[in-house]
Amino acid sequence: MSENKGLLSGGWGMVRRNKRYIFWFYVLNLLLGLFGTVAFFEHAGAILDHSLHADLLLHGFSRDVLDEMLMRPEFGSTSVPRTSAVCFALLFFLVTALFLPGVLQGYASTYRLQREDFFRVCGRNLWQFVRLIIVAGIVMGSVAGTLFGLHGALERKAAESTNELLLPEVQLAGLVVIFLVMAALRIWFDLAQTDIVLSDQRAVRKSIGAALLQMWRHLGRLLASYVVTTIVAAIVLLAGLWVWMKFVRPDNVLGAFVVGQFTLLLLLIPRFWQRGVAVTYYLQNMVEPIAVMESFASVATHEDHIEMGDAHQD
Amino acid sequence: MKTRWIILFFPLVSVIVLSLAVMRHAANAGSPSGVPAAVAAQAAPAAATSSRAGALTIPDTTLAVNSDKPMSERVVHYEIDARYDAAKHVVDATEVLTYHNLTGQALDHFPFHLYQNAFQPNSTFVREVKVDDAGYDNWEAKAYGSEEIKSLELVGQGDLTAQLRYTAPDDGNKDDKTVVDLRVPKPIAPGEYVQFKIAFQTNFPETQARSGWKRDFVLGGQWFPKVGVWWHGAWNCHQYHAFTEFFADFGVYDVKLTVPQYEVVGASGVKVGEVSNPDSTKTLSYHGDDIHDFAWTASPRYKLKDDGVFQGQMGPVKMQILMQPAHWSQVERHEKILRESLDHFERWYGPYPYKTITLVDPEPDSEAGGMEYPTFITGETSWFMPKGQLWPEVVVEHEFGHQYWYGMVATNEFEDAWMDEGINSYTEVKVLDSIFGPDTSFSAIAGATRSEREYQRLSYIRAADLDPIAQKAYDYYNYRSYGGITYGKTASVLLTLEGIIGADTMRKAMRVYFMKYRFTHPTKEDFLKTIEEVSGRDLRWYVNQAIYGSQVMDYQVLKIDSFPVNWYEDKQGSGKDDDKDTIYRSYVSLQRKEDFVMPVEVEIKFENGETLREHWDGVNRWTRLGPYDKKTKIASAEIDPDHKVQIDRNDFNNSYTAEANVKPARKVSNYWLFATQWMSQALAWWGV
Repeated sequence: MSENKGLLSGGWGMVRRNKRYIFWFYVLNLLLGLFGTVAFFEHAGAILDHSLHADLLLHGFSRDVLDEMLMRPEFGSTSVPRTSAVCFALLFFLVTALFLPGVLQGYASTYRLQREDFFRVCGRNLWQFVRLIIVAGIVMGSVAGTLFGLHGALERKAAESTNELLLPEVQLAGLVVIFLVMAALRIWFDLAQTDIVLSDQRAVRKSIGAALLQMWRHLGRLLASYVVTTIVAAIVLLAGLWVWMKFVRPDNVLGAFVVGQFTLLLLLIPRFWQRGVAVTYYLQNMVEPIAVMESFASVATHEDHIEMGDAHQD
Repeated sequence: MKTRWIILFFPLVSVIVLSLAVMRHAANAGSPSGVPAAVAAQAAPAAATSSRAGALTIPDTTLAVNSDKPMSERVVHYEIDARYDAAKHVVDATEVLTYHNLTGQALDHFPFHLYQNAFQPNSTFVREVKVDDAGYDNWEAKAYGSEEIKSLELVGQGDLTAQLRYTAPDDGNKDDKTVVDLRVPKPIAPGEYVQFKIAFQTNFPETQARSGWKRDFVLGGQWFPKVGVWWHGAWNCHQYHAFTEFFADFGVYDVKLTVPQYEVVGASGVKVGEVSNPDSTKTLSYHGDDIHDFAWTASPRYKLKDDGVFQGQMGPVKMQILMQPAHWSQVERHEKILRESLDHFERWYGPYPYKTITLVDPEPDSEAGGMEYPTFITGETSWFMPKGQLWPEVVVEHEFGHQYWYGMVATNEFEDAWMDEGINSYTEVKVLDSIFGPDTSFSAIAGATRSEREYQRLSYIRAADLDPIAQKAYDYYNYRSYGGITYGKTASVLLTLEGIIGADTMRKAMRVYFMKYRFTHPTKEDFLKTIEEVSGRDLRWYVNQAIYGSQVMDYQVLKIDSFPVNWYEDKQGSGKDDDKDTIYRSYVSLQRKEDFVMPVEVEIKFENGETLREHWDGVNRWTRLGPYDKKTKIASAEIDPDHKVQIDRNDFNNSYTAEANVKPARKVSNYWLFATQWMSQALAWWGV
């Protein structure tokens, strides 16, 4: 437990020291989200802006009015705003992949990483990350597909039972199992990413192998840390929605925006915390033996000293 | 063992444990092991029989109604003795049908419905479902249902089994066996009684069209050979179609059901006897008066609540509720809405005369939910049902409403489906609005509300321009059109009619209609003329479009204009916009975009708060109201400001504001934004 605490507190410390990363990722998330919402806003505005009927959406939230708006031909197919939202979500995914090496380097650094260093690390590791994401996609996709297939088969079987509650129980239990397995895989590839960046590892397969070994050795600690952070995320989401529903007046659009955005900002923290956990773990368990480095350094210093002494003598 | 090994094996062990648990429970599905609470045998008055020696008659019993004399003109008496094989889902039964020829003419043939034959691959029912693309991707054996007459004897004329001929009066489908016709050697004279003795076997399908079995549950609906209705000088006995329901004559039912001992049973009418048999079965006897159908259900797992009594205007009504065990926490919700529905219908439309009402919560995931039979209805819920989600209440109220609009006012559901489903949907809106409030009568969860009247209207406008209301149920284009028009449009049309003649007049008309036509088979004109008579108004202009026609309504405020009267003068002078003395000339342009013509009210609001109302007859495609010369501009114009019109397909363009208000669009877009960002984060969380 104390080891878990170490990982969690170590990771949390990195998050606290590097709050700017969360801020910038949030800004990116917001901007891309806004771009993804433009089509919806335009379509909705064309119908609602000059209609008194729209008041039922503002003062309260009439699902009927919303449904009627979505049904209107002038709103167009909902696939248009949906597609743009998905595209911008994918863009955020790619941007995250692009800038993540800088974040990991920043977390591992004992000093504030300079901007040029941050982007240099991002650029240097881009291709490795692309390869790693492809491998992770194949592995996680295969495992998720298999597990969900199994889950579906169990659901179908459970649906035959005369015990109505068996189905939701099986669904819930199945989802928990899937979550744990996928979280373990996530840990594996998080460690691999960390290894790539912090070891400057060019051979992705080596990082994947090393990360698998480490994940396997300390799965309990790592999984516990990831579960805790995920629970924190769930609490943040539920609390944010509760505050939104409980304390924001229906017609207070700005208030709803602020609460929603604050919730989304806070929601970014647990994932960065997980990154911090991975980096902490790496520094504790995966980094090359420091003694070797020190001996090199001491030898180097000694040699330098000799050279300098020699020079001085000269 | 090290932690990692535990974690490795956790998913594996979990999957195995879950699988075993599921297998074990699933194995129980086919062989019910639950034993219900013993049902105390009720003192059973002997059911009257039609076959008294020498003289056929229909009993004039009133055992099941709070009345000392029959309430309907009783045409039929069914005496059925049925044995249900729970393992095979098969009923073997004998049926003695006594028929009173009140047609005024000699009858030389009798058509019978064999509804369960609809569930066969080449039946009209299945063909129509296939065309509508609403099911039957693959034909499975469990979808098969059948209803076979093993023998038929006409008392006094011998065994006529060989005379039975399948017929398809609606579409000529030779493979459809849902109607069988019997030609009798000696015609039955007017006023004469005739008795059929039928042996039949019904094989239920896995629930379809709200009849059949699911796991160890069964709903016995439309399960016995039922004679057609002599209506308007001819037999009315339609085939079973994908969208149609039923039509039958009033009479008396005496039904004996033999089922396994462990079954908990509910049925139409009142239970008059229960006998345990030596072969681990029991025989339950039911009696129904002044009803036109009989349905029953059995499951070993029902939990019964039967201590509720509603004090009706004609006497006490016993409320029996059969719930699924996982839904037992909702039994009070079910009883409450049933009681409140009874109360509203009695106060508004007329008394409920029966001594019982049985509410069945059917097997989850079955297609048996939301169905009505005389004194017997099925609800629909699930194990998770937040209080603000009123679907169980909506279904129970709707099905109870059918006790009036179908059960007692027994319209022809094949030809005038709107008269039971639509009128019932209208009263559903009224009752649920009264109980839960007009804005939250469908659901109210986390600040998001849905209203029953808008639920009906939206179902209508999804399929507004395909079919008229006054149309045979099997002639609708597809199920969406049938549902949208029959339920949604009728409810919306009657709500709009209420706006025209007034809510009090409408309620009075509905009461008059119910009291006048209960226990009869009224036509659409009976209903419409009643409303015209009670309101004292000629409503043909409306009825011809709304009921008989497929016209669609869409009125819009096309444009509002305000400009200075002396706009041509120098802007530096008195004519400039911000001068308080400037007189503005304003117009409101209205358009009738579709073909439904109806006079409407228009409310015009000015920026200084002044309001005025105008009337537009809607005859021309557009009109321009004005000019209004005032020291103020128009702020907004709204068609139908009192929201009396419920059939306009677009409520957004019924009003127009001079100033755009972007807050509603921003509000809904904020939800979209939140969802988009959250989705982005989730994708990045798991993907990178």
